[in-house]
Amino acid sequence: MKLATMFQAGLPYLVLTGGLLVVMIGVAIKRTHAVAAVLTIATLIATTLSHIVAYSALGDGAVQIDSMFKIDGIAYLFNILFLLAALVVAFLGSEFLNRRIRFKEEFYLLLLCATLGSLVLPAAVHFASLILGLEIVGISLYAMIAYPEKARPPLEAGLKYLVLSGVGSTALLFGMAMIYAGSGSMEFANSLPSDGSMEGQYFYLIGNAFFWSGIAFKLSLVPFHIWTPDVYHGAPSIVTGFLATVSKGAVFAVVFRYAIEGNVLDSGNVQFALSVIACISMVIGNLLALLQTNLKRLLAYSSIAHMGYLLIALLVVESNSALGYETVILYLVGYFLMTLAAFGVVSVLSMNQEQELETIDSIGGLLWRQPIAGAVLIVSAISLAGIPLTIGFFAKYYLFYAGIDGGMWTLIGALVVGSAIGIYYYLRIVFTAIKRPLDDAEAMTGLPWTGLGILVVLGLCILALGIYPTNLIDLIQNVVQASGF
Amino acid sequence: MTTALSIPLEHVFFLAIILFLIGAFGVLIRRNIIFMLLSLEIMMNACGLAFVAAGARWAEPDGQIMFMFILALAAAEVAVALGLVVQFARRFETLDIDRAEELNG
Repeated sequence: MKLATMFQAGLPYLVLTGGLLVVMIGVAIKRTHAVAAVLTIATLIATTLSHIVAYSALGDGAVQIDSMFKIDGIAYLFNILFLLAALVVAFLGSEFLNRRIRFKEEFYLLLLCATLGSLVLPAAVHFASLILGLEIVGISLYAMIAYPEKARPPLEAGLKYLVLSGVGSTALLFGMAMIYAGSGSMEFANSLPSDGSMEGQYFYLIGNAFFWSGIAFKLSLVPFHIWTPDVYHGAPSIVTGFLATVSKGAVFAVVFRYAIEGNVLDSGNVQFALSVIACISMVIGNLLALLQTNLKRLLAYSSIAHMGYLLIALLVVESNSALGYETVILYLVGYFLMTLAAFGVVSVLSMNQEQELETIDSIGGLLWRQPIAGAVLIVSAISLAGIPLTIGFFAKYYLFYAGIDGGMWTLIGALVVGSAIGIYYYLRIVFTAIKRPLDDAEAMTGLPWTGLGILVVLGLCILALGIYPTNLIDLIQNVVQASGF
Repeated sequence: MTTALSIPLEHVFFLAIILFLIGAFGVLIRRNIIFMLLSLEIMMNACGLAFVAAGARWAEPDGQIMFMFILALAAAEVAVALGLVVQFARRFETLDIDRAEELNG
């Protein structure tokens, strides 16, 4: 592989790293919130645009950089998704910082760092690059969660996330060590034990048990989900939005790569374990969400269920990897839009208050008190429930299709049961927001226009892609095919 | 298969798993944040040991390189963690994670 090609394919990474350094030096020279925010947003946009230049370097499918990274169209698609999500977070975050936080500039550094880590993951094909990307995201997130350092809930959430995510990482590392002991290679593509000895097989299986427990920690799948509601609740809403979308999506991207390159799902045991985790995540996540009165905790449990749904796409790659990739990308696009919209609404509404908006009752009559935010919240709840005319419907439709294609009837059953339970509590959000407000409930005014504007864009995307998804689906299919699946 | 190891691989992994479990139980049972972080560190080092042993089985340096990785990672994690612990001790005036009960329900 020519060096020039590698540099061209790696251009987005170079641009983002360069921008990160510029912001860092800029903050060191002079603290100006506006400059830091503008530089960050410019960096994110420039990185997104640099994918156009970089894409022509791919040529016949993929560019391999040493044994660590394999950059292909799918990785770029994931990257653009993460960058756009980070852009939304940067816009909403700037308003949040402006009104609530004293030291604002470091937030942008952490955000760019976390984004860089999430860009590393979709291209990783080696255990070392996997753990590198994962920890760049993780360590930046610890600090982002605890960013409002004066308040108590974010601190508690940050520490809890740090300890439990650390446990997840160590389980992952231990699994990698055992897989390496069994197979003799840390590249995904050679990670199956080659010599066929009994010993190698044992190492491989136990290693995978550790590995997938670590991944389940990171994706907050049942039974490794205990940290999720606390962390989602305690973190500032906009950081929760980032945590729920980009960090989860990036882990999914790398897990797909591992499953396809490493043929992990050939092992019946791994497949069975993942199916069980998927089933209980879908059912238990939705059941626990029923009991919640706190909006952020409710969304946390709903994200557990959504991660369970997404495992169906992972399990289908064994028989049909192209379909698996199409499903996961489409679902993630939908999930990103609706989750960012939901947490964005909570974040925008909380900006003028001392405490974050918490209970579901506090959004009573939101549609009348703050029509824009109310409408966006309703659209995103409807989309999360998977009701037609929203992107959530097509995402779920694709999951059904993938499940049927793979003949996974138990999982489809769990998906149906989970979605049915889900509709109940998503509609509770909708009804609470629609019902006439009490007389003493005041209208919410003085909310930032940029924040509301971003929310409107997110809401319109949910509807537009739900009514006319053809272009998006075509794009995804073309890229997946061009990447050689 | 090249074996550059005079101690059987299984024994090393047995030790690593014991260390890992000690760490895991520490995280679960201890309520003092400093001790939880120490337990986490033990788990990290168990992973490091496992990597070095695995690298020795194949007579490759990769395992040791991963160990360097883990060291760097643990250092970065602890740097953030101790910053948070200082803030935590200031706001809650305790190091007991269970006394912080802002988040439940």
